[in-house]
Amino acid sequence: MARKIEFDAEDEEFFGKVGSFGVPKFDNEMHGGVPRGFTMVAFTDTGSGSELFAKQFSSPAEESENTLYISTNEGQQEIVRIFQKYDWPLDINVRTIGEEYNSTVLERELLASRYRLEGFQLDDIQRLAQTRFVDDNNQDYLTEVTNEIMALGPYFRAVVDSLDFFLQREDPARVVAMVRMLAAHAQLNRGLLLISVSTNGLDPSVKQELSSIADMVLSFQVRTIGTDFETSMIVSKFRNAPENLKILVFRVTPEEGITPETVERIA
Amino acid sequence: MQAGSVYTRDRCVTGIHGLDEILRGGIPYGSTVLAAGTCGSGKTTLGMEFLVRGALAGEACAHFTATEPSVKLLENIRQYAFFDMNMVDSGLINVFDMDVLYSWLGLDKASFDLDDVHALIKAIVDIVNTIGVTRLVIDSVTTLCYKIKSEQLIRDFLFTLGKKLATLGCTTILISEITSATENAHWSSFGVEEAIADGIIVMGDVERMGHLLRFLQVVKMRGTAHSRAKHAIELTPLGVMLTPMLKWGAQTDKANRVGV
Repeated sequence: MARKIEFDAEDEEFFGKVGSFGVPKFDNEMHGGVPRGFTMVAFTDTGSGSELFAKQFSSPAEESENTLYISTNEGQQEIVRIFQKYDWPLDINVRTIGEEYNSTVLERELLASRYRLEGFQLDDIQRLAQTRFVDDNNQDYLTEVTNEIMALGPYFRAVVDSLDFFLQREDPARVVAMVRMLAAHAQLNRGLLLISVSTNGLDPSVKQELSSIADMVLSFQVRTIGTDFETSMIVSKFRNAPENLKILVFRVTPEEGITPETVERIA
Repeated sequence: MQAGSVYTRDRCVTGIHGLDEILRGGIPYGSTVLAAGTCGSGKTTLGMEFLVRGALAGEACAHFTATEPSVKLLENIRQYAFFDMNMVDSGLINVFDMDVLYSWLGLDKASFDLDDVHALIKAIVDIVNTIGVTRLVIDSVTTLCYKIKSEQLIRDFLFTLGKKLATLGCTTILISEITSATENAHWSSFGVEEAIADGIIVMGDVERMGHLLRFLQVVKMRGTAHSRAKHAIELTPLGVMLTPMLKWGAQTDKANRVGV
């Protein structure tokens, strides 16, 4: 049986029943924001602005120490630059898995390929002869990320951008199981969880599973109109409130980041 | 060479009590010898003593351990009086952990493909060449070959490795684990090692009056005449001791086989 969490009355009042998207106009369109406890899965097209949306979603950071942004593609510096650009809080927890992977696993792979191509030098051989144990560098990022999010307390806000990293390296069934676990944690703790996953090359059965676990399914799409691009967010699933399904066309402004277009385009 | 004189190949004197006599002076230099034996037959001790005797003669030696971690191997072998840990510390005997080598080469995976096999050969040959190894033991080639799924690839691996090591003048003992050492048994786990090796030394157990005796038999050794008789092995603190098996033992063996 699921553990019951007692919520503080003050917290209930402070956090409310819904949390902001980080985009006020989206909140207005979606009756105030995202219901607390929801897990959102965003299926994304390349160039559709989903990375910026993921950062913007973490920007309300009601409690910065209870807000976690996990990026698998970008480095710390790039993330800080964007947060500074839009004046979003810089004191949230950020983990850059891609950067960590590059500095550990790829570095090791690079060294291995050097040994394979160029061979061993005398000092390499001497070190090899004195090394008695294998360095355990095989980090299980999936478990680490799961544990990190599971350690967040009530009313947390977490973003995983994106799941592609894990789906490319792990058994998809394990990744789906992790998402299921995180969704349960979000529901139990009234947390808000956004997970993005690229639609390119995504197995339809995995997409189906992720969609069924998610409380809200978003699709970030980009298309060309004449010589212009049109980016849109489609809300194709909203648990227990199908009336909220929407297509929201948005653009990116230097002041507000992602902003829904309120004026109809004339094609 | 003068007409009528007999050419003999230079020998790698093993220094193992009794083995050089069996081999009429030692293993021909640069040979790849398969030491195939059942569990507990003394393969690892034989291999390590082969290196120790070489190190004592000032030769650079290398041991690749795949069956057990090098720490455990050294802890077990240091109980023998013939072994001195200083030989390892001073670099006369270089002990390499195969798991570490795999990790360094990015080979920490379940099976090896052609590129992986080539990388492994290159690494071993690099080590032998760079530090001038003249005596090498791989313990065991069976464990190593488990990762090579195709018989053809195992054959290529052993053949290429043996050829390159021979070119470098390195005498190699490949330890092979077998389940039976009887006359009808295969002396290799994959069936290809025995065909490629220059020499085969079989080690196993025979029962004598309720006792399990270890034996060693040189089945094949290219480049030298040798005894093909079974010899009893004793693993003493001073090293491996080989003595010819008594004839009555052989008779009993024969009697057992025909069911008398």
